[in-house]
Amino acid sequence: MQETSDEKRFYSDKLKHAIHLLLFKRGKMPGAKEWELKASLGKNYKEVVKQLDTLLSDFDLQVKKVEPERPQNRPLAEGPLEESTDDARYFLTLRGTLTPKEARLSGWRIDNLAALTVAIAYIVTKQGKAPREEIEKLLAEKAGRWKTLTLLDAFTRNGYLKEDEAGSMSLGWRTSSEVNLRDLMTLLAETGR
Amino acid sequence: MTSSNPKPERVRLASGRKDLRELIQTCEAIREHKFNPFFLDVALAIETLRKYFPFWGSLDDHCLDAQTINDLAEVLNLQKSQLRYQSSALYTAPEMLDKKLRTLSVKRLGEIFLKSWHPIVEREQLTVEGAREGLRYWDEMLSFEERRKRLHLGRPAPPTPTDLDSLVKSGIMTREDFAKNLRRLWEELQTQTKESGSVDYWSFVRRDNYQETVQRAYYVSFLLTYGFAKMARDSTGMKLAWVETPTGKVAQGMVSYPIAIPRKSEPEVVQGTSM
Repeated sequence: MQETSDEKRFYSDKLKHAIHLLLFKRGKMPGAKEWELKASLGKNYKEVVKQLDTLLSDFDLQVKKVEPERPQNRPLAEGPLEESTDDARYFLTLRGTLTPKEARLSGWRIDNLAALTVAIAYIVTKQGKAPREEIEKLLAEKAGRWKTLTLLDAFTRNGYLKEDEAGSMSLGWRTSSEVNLRDLMTLLAETGR
Repeated sequence: MTSSNPKPERVRLASGRKDLRELIQTCEAIREHKFNPFFLDVALAIETLRKYFPFWGSLDDHCLDAQTINDLAEVLNLQKSQLRYQSSALYTAPEMLDKKLRTLSVKRLGEIFLKSWHPIVEREQLTVEGAREGLRYWDEMLSFEERRKRLHLGRPAPPTPTDLDSLVKSGIMTREDFAKNLRRLWEELQTQTKESGSVDYWSFVRRDNYQETVQRAYYVSFLLTYGFAKMARDSTGMKLAWVETPTGKVAQGMVSYPIAIPRKSEPEVVQGTSM
């Protein structure tokens, strides 16, 4: 009996520490690297993270793991954690989605989100890389020339897109972490049928 | 190739190098996503390489051959990626999607994004480490004088007293002060309205000099705001009337009324006033 109680207490402390690590931003990027979790929570950090993920589901939140070499995110519920690398990053994300009214809470206007949709979808159709001028041209049709330039810079600054020296744009770390590309492309394909 | 027939060999080598360079350029364009990877017929490219390979003699030619093979391998890799992508759920025909992105409304596009968006929950705060870093930066930062020295600007000029002439020249002050100008205009309005009780706004404000017109309109707006004059509209235009006993205070319920001051062959300037 005593043992069970100790075990619960042990997990409770670790859970608190885990949520602190995941929620509070310390560097440029939010979340925590796998090695940070391992160093702070001990060797059973995966169990702690899994338990936290279960607890957070009541609040419509989830722990998401993003591996650097994998472009698509993977909610914990979808698979085991055994193949993880120390470079993987864990984030707290919304489990469900926002309604158009709630979208204002994110700080992005609906027309800016529409522009982001166009940019992401275009890059996906170009298999992950597209010249900036082409995206600008496409966006300018809806948003206007000057707003397009500002928006693309904002998307890049926030990590949704990234631009290389040759002027090609690709999907940034935040898109990989926050956007379910499969859902996005399916919805776009279905719309208008 | 034998030495008994040197001319055809030279021709073949030159055209072979040209073909290989064209292949390399095409591969580069594909790598930069300018063309579809399937734009290049790899089998035909390999056949071209095979055709010229027996004739290469110099190191440069063999390097060119190796580079072409390397670039073709990359194109093959891109073809593989495209096939894999097309067989995945992410694939949508680019032409169809392009049309949709152009035709769907902004609202609909935003809604689609929201259905696939799971934003990160994060909390920004000042940490102990962040505060320490800030303090460290502040301690290590050179004084203003030191930083100025780095720019080789020399010592800044010491402050000196200024006079009315330089203030007037820089537009900070006028020779006549504001209250005096207002009084002068108020008295002028009194003179002009003595007989008829009112005067046309434009005939009172407008002068040959545009700058002076704007200046008079600016002062008139103060006369109206503080109850030194009244403005009313009749069938002939806007009329200004002199007030004998001004309140000197902003009257309740006044509304701001913009009046455009057109200038011949120049854009209009809008002057705000209160009524």
